[in-house]
Amino acid sequence: MASSISSSEETVHQKQDALPSGLRLTAANRPGMAQPVPERDIPQQPWGAMAIAVTVLLLLFTSLWEWKMRTLELIPGDLGRNTDRWAELRKEIDKRNVPVVIVGDSRILYDSDLDRATQLIGVRPVQLGIPGTSGLPILQDLADDPNFKGVAIVGMMESAYFDLTGSREQKAIDLARWESPSKRGSFLIQRALSHGLAMLDDDYKLSTLIFRLDSDWRQGVKGPRHGVWKPQETGSGGQVWLWRRIEHDRRFSEHIRYIWVHYEVPPEPLDDQIIRNISIGTKVAVDKIRARGGDVVFVRPPSAPDVREVEDRHIPRARGWDVILATTHSNGIHFDDLPAAQNLTLPEGGHTTRACATVFTDAYLRALVGKTAFLHLQLDAPPALSTRNCVPPSLTVP
Amino acid sequence: MIFNSLIFVVFFAIVLVLHAMPFSWRAKKVDLLLASYIFYAAWNPPFVILLWLSTVVDWFAARGLQQAEEQWKRRAWMLLSVVVSLGLLTYFKYGHFLLDNFAHLASLAGFRYASPKSNIVLPIGISFYTFATMSYTLDIYLRRATPARSFLDYALFVTFFPHLVAGPIMRPTELVPQFEVPHRATSDQLRFGLALMTLGLFEKVVLADGFLGPVVDKLYNGIAIPGFVDSWIATFAFSGQIFCDFAGYSVTAIGAALCLGFALSDNFRFPYAAVGFTDFWRRWHITLSAWLRDYVYIPLGGNRHGEVRTYFSLLATMLIGGLWHGASWTFAVWGGLHGLYLVAERLLRKPFSGYRPGCAATAALGLFTFLLVNIAWVFFRAKTFHQAILILSGMFGRNTHAVPVLSGIYLLTTTVIISCLVLAHCSMRSQTLEAAIARVHPAVLTALWTTMAFAIVIQHGESNGFIYFQF
Repeated sequence: MASSISSSEETVHQKQDALPSGLRLTAANRPGMAQPVPERDIPQQPWGAMAIAVTVLLLLFTSLWEWKMRTLELIPGDLGRNTDRWAELRKEIDKRNVPVVIVGDSRILYDSDLDRATQLIGVRPVQLGIPGTSGLPILQDLADDPNFKGVAIVGMMESAYFDLTGSREQKAIDLARWESPSKRGSFLIQRALSHGLAMLDDDYKLSTLIFRLDSDWRQGVKGPRHGVWKPQETGSGGQVWLWRRIEHDRRFSEHIRYIWVHYEVPPEPLDDQIIRNISIGTKVAVDKIRARGGDVVFVRPPSAPDVREVEDRHIPRARGWDVILATTHSNGIHFDDLPAAQNLTLPEGGHTTRACATVFTDAYLRALVGKTAFLHLQLDAPPALSTRNCVPPSLTVP
Repeated sequence: MIFNSLIFVVFFAIVLVLHAMPFSWRAKKVDLLLASYIFYAAWNPPFVILLWLSTVVDWFAARGLQQAEEQWKRRAWMLLSVVVSLGLLTYFKYGHFLLDNFAHLASLAGFRYASPKSNIVLPIGISFYTFATMSYTLDIYLRRATPARSFLDYALFVTFFPHLVAGPIMRPTELVPQFEVPHRATSDQLRFGLALMTLGLFEKVVLADGFLGPVVDKLYNGIAIPGFVDSWIATFAFSGQIFCDFAGYSVTAIGAALCLGFALSDNFRFPYAAVGFTDFWRRWHITLSAWLRDYVYIPLGGNRHGEVRTYFSLLATMLIGGLWHGASWTFAVWGGLHGLYLVAERLLRKPFSGYRPGCAATAALGLFTFLLVNIAWVFFRAKTFHQAILILSGMFGRNTHAVPVLSGIYLLTTTVIISCLVLAHCSMRSQTLEAAIARVHPAVLTALWTTMAFAIVIQHGESNGFIYFQF
């Protein structure tokens, strides 16, 4: 009888004798019996020499790839659109009293300079913006979190804010609530590695690069090339900017502008019922935060005229921004009403340059100081900035 | 913890170093056991308790079985093991499914029943380690094996991290004897093990997640009505994705075990070169199909009680196999379809018993098998019957309002990958991977190994879980 400690090897060897060379029996060939200890042969090859050659070649190719990625202006330390990083920032609210939080889509995310904010209001806001998402689910998450008693600055690009069809927000919230030790550990290792390697960028991985070769090869289908190639660059402390290459490479900026104008915003006006539902959802969240002593204010970051035209066709200011502020009895700053935010440089029409993000942050925070009790201008705050601080004089409209 | 994560690289390096230290064999086994628990707990620490429960219950049930002399006592011990193992599996995996179906039946009968909302989380790999521990007590009950002498060896058999969460489903007789005596990998075993891990991770990270997954998701997660080309290409992509995902896991597991000096069973043998469905199931997920054969099909009567009983046993086994994969009727239909394929094959074998196909006929039969396997995959991947019917309808060219869904690059990459995959399977169908590797020139092998490793490095990105983890 076969046993756990002495398997039925005789039977197996008898059968194996009859096998053609290069084959071995598997459990499929041994019905109704105890399975013997598997045999794994090692192919006759110079494994030692091969392993050394593979290691050397792998190091060489990886170094060349890293060099190539750096020539494309990828930089070490950029974590891309990593949700683990977002979850880490979100968990700060559970650990300490966070007085200022920013939520919203990529507009408020890239257009906010957290260092400038710190200089102005004395605290560094926790940046919880997520590209391509509505700020509402995050606002609702904060509303349901008794630890949050500060002010939430909600960035609102209407077509993103009124679109709850995405799942990225919920995935990020879920990750902040529960992150397995394994996922957390992998993220910490990735972050450590990314400080030395620029190539660890999700937007520049092998399959993505190959898929992007498709310039509408098949009639009637927009290929993966029509996605946003690489929109952002992350810095330390939750800072995120528009990717530096988009600021000077017209191929990149025009590509993204084309997407904003043609694909990102639905062409038809948004349904009234959706606007009502989102407004009610926002009011409930705002009321919950205020009931705890916190506050919510809104900010509308700038859009270039051609992009704005498309956005307004879907939800004009009167149907979106004004309705939200009226329903929630909230204060807010729309870039239309902010002189210092006019004529900023928006390379792809939707986000400011890094320098203009500082100017815009300076402008909207100074404007918000009088609109919520949570924001106070520091006595030693730097002087106000204007468009001239980020736009070359030749491009500044007098 | 999953193989395609950075944390696993660190974990595995530490395990390898500890295993190479001059500790006693017992200390090394304790190391491996603790490492395996860490491997499992890294996903969700509390669920280690389930693993312990399953381990301890079956250990004592096996001892009880060994000591009991009366048949009723033996049966009682066996039932205890089966009830506890299947009870845990049923609660965690099928709890929602059973309640929802009960509520549906009640509403059909005119009663109103709303199943309570619960947040049951499926413990990773529960289907795999449950089957592994059940085979331990069942083999002893069937007097095929005697209990392990050491609890440490037995616990390590259940928990050994390479096979713990997604197989190969090991039997105690395959692994416990290996833990009895000191094992340490030779230099060549270590290098070949690393080469196998590279191959497995290449299949998973680059092919399954990088190139095939997005194609499948584009169609199967979308709402567009697909036409003939899109339906077939997305389904071919899924057949490649699930193979590369699962076979990739198995190869990585085999490689990881080999680096430590242990041998795991073959789980795949070039299944897309199968000619017929009996052949397919001898090549696809071998350890599961062998488990179902030994512990379900044969006890149900197998082929010993006439044709009708054989067909019943086949269908029942494949339906159970389908439901093992997931708590949804679409999985049952997938299993049922394979059961019907097997029954049809048996029925056809009689009138064609003297027929020996030539090369062209074998190729045609192989292609026909592959196409039927793909039709079954539609039910495996689709989230609803409506979606499955829509895609099948597209595959048969019956969607009149179909729109193109997949871009040209998706069609191209899928066609290239699947063609290469099927050709590779066909060229190696009558040999092992090792035999094929032994025939390749070292320079070519070095180039292939480097290419795969480099592709893994530059594919990187977020580590996606393996599809079979959810089973």
